[in-house]
Amino acid sequence: MILPRRKLSATVPAMAMGDIAFLLLIFFVILARVQDDSHIQWKPAEGRELVKPETMRISVAIDREGVTYLNGRVLSETADSAAIRDMLARALYNENGAPGQRGLLGDLPSGRRTVLLKIHRDTPYRDFEPVIEAVSAAGGELHHVLEEKN
Amino acid sequence: MKLRRQSLLTEPPASAASDIAFILIIFFLVCASVEPEEGRQQIIPKNEQDEKKQKTKTINVDITPSNIVVNVPNSRDGVPIKSYKRDDPALNALLIAKLQGALAGRTGDEARIVAVMCKDDAAPYYLWMAITDAIEQAGGIITLVREEVVSVQ
Repeated sequence: MILPRRKLSATVPAMAMGDIAFLLLIFFVILARVQDDSHIQWKPAEGRELVKPETMRISVAIDREGVTYLNGRVLSETADSAAIRDMLARALYNENGAPGQRGLLGDLPSGRRTVLLKIHRDTPYRDFEPVIEAVSAAGGELHHVLEEKN
Repeated sequence: MKLRRQSLLTEPPASAASDIAFILIIFFLVCASVEPEEGRQQIIPKNEQDEKKQKTKTINVDITPSNIVVNVPNSRDGVPIKSYKRDDPALNALLIAKLQGALAGRTGDEARIVAVMCKDDAAPYYLWMAITDAIEQAGGIITLVREEVVSVQ
């Protein structure tokens, strides 16, 4: 009598696919930045030898219309440059705050105090100067987001 | 004979869950990776009140409505004040050459400070980036100088 050899089937369990996909989904959602500023309309200026920023926690943007944003939220549409400078400096670093509540930069160590600047290329000096000054006054490390020059 | 009422609660098909999840993954990937983040780092020291002490030795770069004026006290090349047209295509290279010469003999952070004053409120951001890029490439440390408006009563 000849006994038939049992065939070994090695198939990937289809049931596990859903679980794998959901784990990947959670992974990407955690990695994605909470503050999204992709809706801001701006065109970067050109630069050479560009580098990636150390951290991407804080971003300040000025769009085509000259509106200033902090982490994707409008800072002010009507305030003058001095008011924007004060608002931004206070939001980034508040020396009178309690420990842990000293603004977005707070007591972060050097090297982790990066502030991304996404400024539209034609923005006039009167609009972007207060932003640069506020970031430097708060002890931030400026990172101008630029486009590689061809 | 009693007819059984059909239950209205129906479970969603479990086999569709993985497809939904993969579509969501693709959505998050596409949304997350479009924004550019590359750029240039710039550290501008905080404003200090006693900057005037160094003013006589500091290199000054003034942005005017039509020109870029570089003022180098005790210039070695005998041309302490040099003016460049803002729309000059070789502006970046000219500024680097001038500032490299001016900074050549200067050692230490304080001596390498280049004070940038913008006298044109409408100067565009791309011009500012081009000028500060030239200063940094020449080895200078940028400091912002603001024009003080004094009201006389």
